[in-house]
Amino acid sequence: MASTDLQNGRRSIEEAIKPPTLAERMARYRLIMQDALGELYKSKTALIGALMLVSLLIVLLLTPIIAKYDPVKQDYTAFRQDASAEHYFGTDRYGRDIYSRVLWGGRRLVSIAIFAVIFGLAIGIPYGVLSGYYGGWVDSIGMRAVDGLLAFPGILLYLLIVTLAREWHLEGFWNDLILIFALGFAFFPEAARLVRSSVLIEKQKEYVEASHTIGESNLYIAMRQILPNCLSPLIVNATVRLGFVILIIAALSFLGLGTPPPTPDWGADLSAAREHMESNPMIAVYPGLAICYTVLAFNLFGDGLRDIIDPRMAER
Amino acid sequence: MLIYAINRILQMIPVLFVLTVVVFTFVQLLPGDVIDTLIGDEQAEDPELRKALEEEYGLDKPIYMQYGIWLGKALQGDFGKSLITRRPISVELFESIPATVYLGLVGIGLSIIIAVPLGSIAAVKRNSATDYAAQVTSLIGISIPEFWFAIMAVLVFSLHLGWLPSSGYVSPFEDLGQSLYYLILPALAVGFRQAAYTTRLTRSSMLDEMNKEYVDTARSLGFSEPKVIYKYTLRNALIPTITISGLQLANLLGGTVVLETIFAWPGIGQAIYLAIIDHDYPLIQAGILVLGIIVVCVNLLVDLLYRVLNPRVALN
Repeated sequence: MASTDLQNGRRSIEEAIKPPTLAERMARYRLIMQDALGELYKSKTALIGALMLVSLLIVLLLTPIIAKYDPVKQDYTAFRQDASAEHYFGTDRYGRDIYSRVLWGGRRLVSIAIFAVIFGLAIGIPYGVLSGYYGGWVDSIGMRAVDGLLAFPGILLYLLIVTLAREWHLEGFWNDLILIFALGFAFFPEAARLVRSSVLIEKQKEYVEASHTIGESNLYIAMRQILPNCLSPLIVNATVRLGFVILIIAALSFLGLGTPPPTPDWGADLSAAREHMESNPMIAVYPGLAICYTVLAFNLFGDGLRDIIDPRMAER
Repeated sequence: MLIYAINRILQMIPVLFVLTVVVFTFVQLLPGDVIDTLIGDEQAEDPELRKALEEEYGLDKPIYMQYGIWLGKALQGDFGKSLITRRPISVELFESIPATVYLGLVGIGLSIIIAVPLGSIAAVKRNSATDYAAQVTSLIGISIPEFWFAIMAVLVFSLHLGWLPSSGYVSPFEDLGQSLYYLILPALAVGFRQAAYTTRLTRSSMLDEMNKEYVDTARSLGFSEPKVIYKYTLRNALIPTITISGLQLANLLGGTVVLETIFAWPGIGQAIYLAIIDHDYPLIQAGILVLGIIVVCVNLLVDLLYRVLNPRVALN
């Protein structure tokens, strides 16, 4: 009897260390998703934010189908029209359909913001994890540099870089790439510092010591074991940052320092609408409302996530 | 305290160094010849004149020497001449600083007057309808781009109702009444976003303070509730609030570039904007540098003020 028990036990250990099959993985992910949805219901703010974000993303993904007109096509038979069944938001002074322009502009703006934040995380996460994990002089030098960058006013950097892009006549893709680079780079110090502070707490825990004992490499422990436990504050921060980045891009293109005219752009369209505000005020309303909706969605979702992750904050 | 202050000032040096390097590199990265860029092309046709200019600007020397020469001149307040107006840049910039300071201070003052009562009432009546209203309003407030708020305010108060001027500036030393009349809309636009931030801050730091033991002690001593809240709790809660809203000043100064442009407000933000539009590189360079130095210095002052207001921090 005893020997069978032992054998059974041994078999289950062998089973336990076997890598999970695809079906098992999917089942596990499904459970995680269910948990996440359950958590979402705990905070009304997060739920509203999530609904607003999901509907925004669906609309932006479907833009090529649901935008009825070419956003840059001028139609002189129908300029400066009021909202109608043909043109939901009316048309601008060149007869371009504002509804289509708002959709296409949003697609571009939100993608730039997402790429910028991902770029910032891609530098900031390894930087912060390694700085916090190795500690000592690596950490002191690394964090001193981050402090210096944080003290540097980001908006001035954007103005300089956008001016450079303008003087080099960068357009379209290259202009967007420069924006992604500048806005992402400005985000990395904040991300690095946030990750580092969680890593400092996490690396004291027993599982880290256990991994050392069985001879895992430092890089593996830092990036694959510690990092996943430090992500939640970062996700909150990145969400709120997305809203902020959208505001900055919109402000720059409002100043006329973004993409050159025919491209649909919320900031630039708002600025163009100002000249005809007396006769046609509504064209200044739609792109602005679109910015507000998007930024509010990110802020609500970020606030709600923070409440869920840090219940002490929710009590307040 | 003195040691801390000296330490902080020493920490500023690398930040300022990076700022000057970035601003110096900016002009090097512009397309075309530096002589054309700095002097304007119409003057530099003659090859002998070019040679003389190259020597005067030290362009025949290696790049770090050029940086040294430029920095030396900048430290003496010599930024060269504007390409457009041909006046010394230092004069142009220093004439524009008072208008920015005027707008910024009134804007911040306005935001504190709105936000501190709103935030503390929300905290005292936690989870009441008032609290939710304050939370929702402030969340929407931080999601509205200030330039759109400005446009909508102009649309309603200038174009529709005709109560307030849509743009312009009168110095408060010339005619205070008229000056305030022109100030209302720009100051509101600066203040509302700041107010939304400050409301959230005041609310959460009030809630932090209200959980502390001294509040219970004050109550048990039989002090009236308003006295406990407004004399003791609020005072302590205001320390972090004021500090963080002071550190927000960097964002606020960035926002003034947009708002000053909309309201034709002759401050440093509008000066930089016009320089970017006119390709006036030396003025862009100097403007960004001066704005950056202002931001770094304000951050230092706020940090030191925080220590003075709250001596307990020094013990930690």
